[in-house]
Amino acid sequence: MAVVQGWKNWYPGRLGYVDFVFGLDNLRNDGRGCEDYRSLDLETDVVSNSSGSSRVRLANTDILVGVKAELGEPAADKPSEGRIEFFVDCSANAAPEFEGRGGEDLALAISNTLAQSYDNVSSLDKRKLCVIPGHQCWVLYVDILLLECGGNLFDAASVAVKAALFNTKIPNLDVTKNEKGEPSLELRDDPFDCMRVDVAAAPCLVTLNKIGYHHVVDATREEESCTLARLIMGVTADGNVVTLKTEKSGSLDPESVFEMMQTGKRVGISLNNTLSAKLKQEETMAPKKGKKAFLR
Amino acid sequence: MSKDNRRLPVPSESKSPYLFVSKDKKPTVLVDENHLRSDGRKVGEIRPIYIRAGAVSQARGSAYIEMGQTKVLCAVYGPREVTRREDFSMKGQLKCELKFATFSRRYRCQHQSDNTEKDLSMVLRDTLEPAVCLDRFPRSHLDIFVTVLEDGGSALAAAITCASVAIARGGIEMYDLVIGMTVYDEPPTDNGTVTVGWLPCIEQISGLTQRGQMDISITKECLKQCVASCQKMYPVIQQTLIKAHPNKLE
Repeated sequence: MAVVQGWKNWYPGRLGYVDFVFGLDNLRNDGRGCEDYRSLDLETDVVSNSSGSSRVRLANTDILVGVKAELGEPAADKPSEGRIEFFVDCSANAAPEFEGRGGEDLALAISNTLAQSYDNVSSLDKRKLCVIPGHQCWVLYVDILLLECGGNLFDAASVAVKAALFNTKIPNLDVTKNEKGEPSLELRDDPFDCMRVDVAAAPCLVTLNKIGYHHVVDATREEESCTLARLIMGVTADGNVVTLKTEKSGSLDPESVFEMMQTGKRVGISLNNTLSAKLKQEETMAPKKGKKAFLR
Repeated sequence: MSKDNRRLPVPSESKSPYLFVSKDKKPTVLVDENHLRSDGRKVGEIRPIYIRAGAVSQARGSAYIEMGQTKVLCAVYGPREVTRREDFSMKGQLKCELKFATFSRRYRCQHQSDNTEKDLSMVLRDTLEPAVCLDRFPRSHLDIFVTVLEDGGSALAAAITCASVAIARGGIEMYDLVIGMTVYDEPPTDNGTVTVGWLPCIEQISGLTQRGQMDISITKECLKQCVASCQKMYPVIQQTLIKAHPNKLE
């Protein structure tokens, strides 16, 4: 049995979902298979005041990400590396529960999972963000704004973050030393002389929701409400797992965890590859005329 | 690192002393050719443990655990009524707060919880929830306070074990105990840690976190190693609870 606890809490609606939906050829109520994502709209360079931005719409989930690059001090234990900081804002527009401090836990969970998945050398080479070791480095502030919640926030947020980082342009700096030997920074004259962030190895999060005996990716809000346990994985394009965590109040059998990890790896690789291809394709497209409106 | 200027009034241009600390102190070889670690343990061997159920007299249940240099204290209060109407639920709720004592690590921790502590608190809550019979205390919550007095590694694993012993000692109904265990994967191949919350009787995983990059085959191995070590710890924890019982069971 996959889930120990919770049988008592399964009201007929929940059981109904599991029985009815997976009864016919393992299809879900919107016709998808267990490893299918909903269609995803992606657009980069949507906010003019940021160094990089993106907007992702995954069915009803709508996420806007802005990246701002600022100069700051490196962390004391990593003097020759830049920093990347995540902040998630659960707008009360998205769900009335988020009003006041309601969305704080969810926001923290998303930002910590993202920070964890980017906190290793292989995901993002932060040494390139260093300007003067021990003194100055680029700090990438990644702000994630949830505009609408339609389930699967973790995956959508990670896709949006990767797209926004791909779009980020950081001005190139020259470090010169004056006669006293003190370093000073100089910005180049050409405003288009920029450095890009290499996101080839950046991870995408894949959430696997255990419903009954099945595990599904990209759960809708309804599916999330009948999920007792879920596994969130950060997967890179070459199939390495950079973060892993379980959530919600159900326990899992080790064998089913292994199965979920296999699925997550498979889905994560294809998600990364599709995303990279689409980002490259978008970049070669002709520039947009005027800015598009949000939530359209 | 954020500076506490009231405590250490330093000139504004000063730099963190940690920048000048040599990094040579870390043992370069974690496992030597005889498969022994720097403190003489085997690869799959856990540090000596000391657990005591019942350490804080005011609390409903409490526990103290030492795993080598890692020392964790946990107190459980409640179940208390939920005061906010929006938080009402027919299932009981767990409120976990994990705090590193300011002197527990090499870097001084701040009084206010930082993101790491909040994250660990959430992991702890998610790991304990499957083990507690939440439907036994509807519309109320259980407060679980965990203080890490000294962090010598695997603080989260120690906190999980300690909290589950404290809940059990408080007489709160549980499906099973939860035992925490962390495995560190040595660098050449990958570099990461896997922490598991294991339900030893039901034989299921209540919580699983991995930090750092790993291939899933290695995660799988680490997980199996964690489970094996948890099962070894189980009789010790059972004995602790029996010993701590006020009626002195035979």
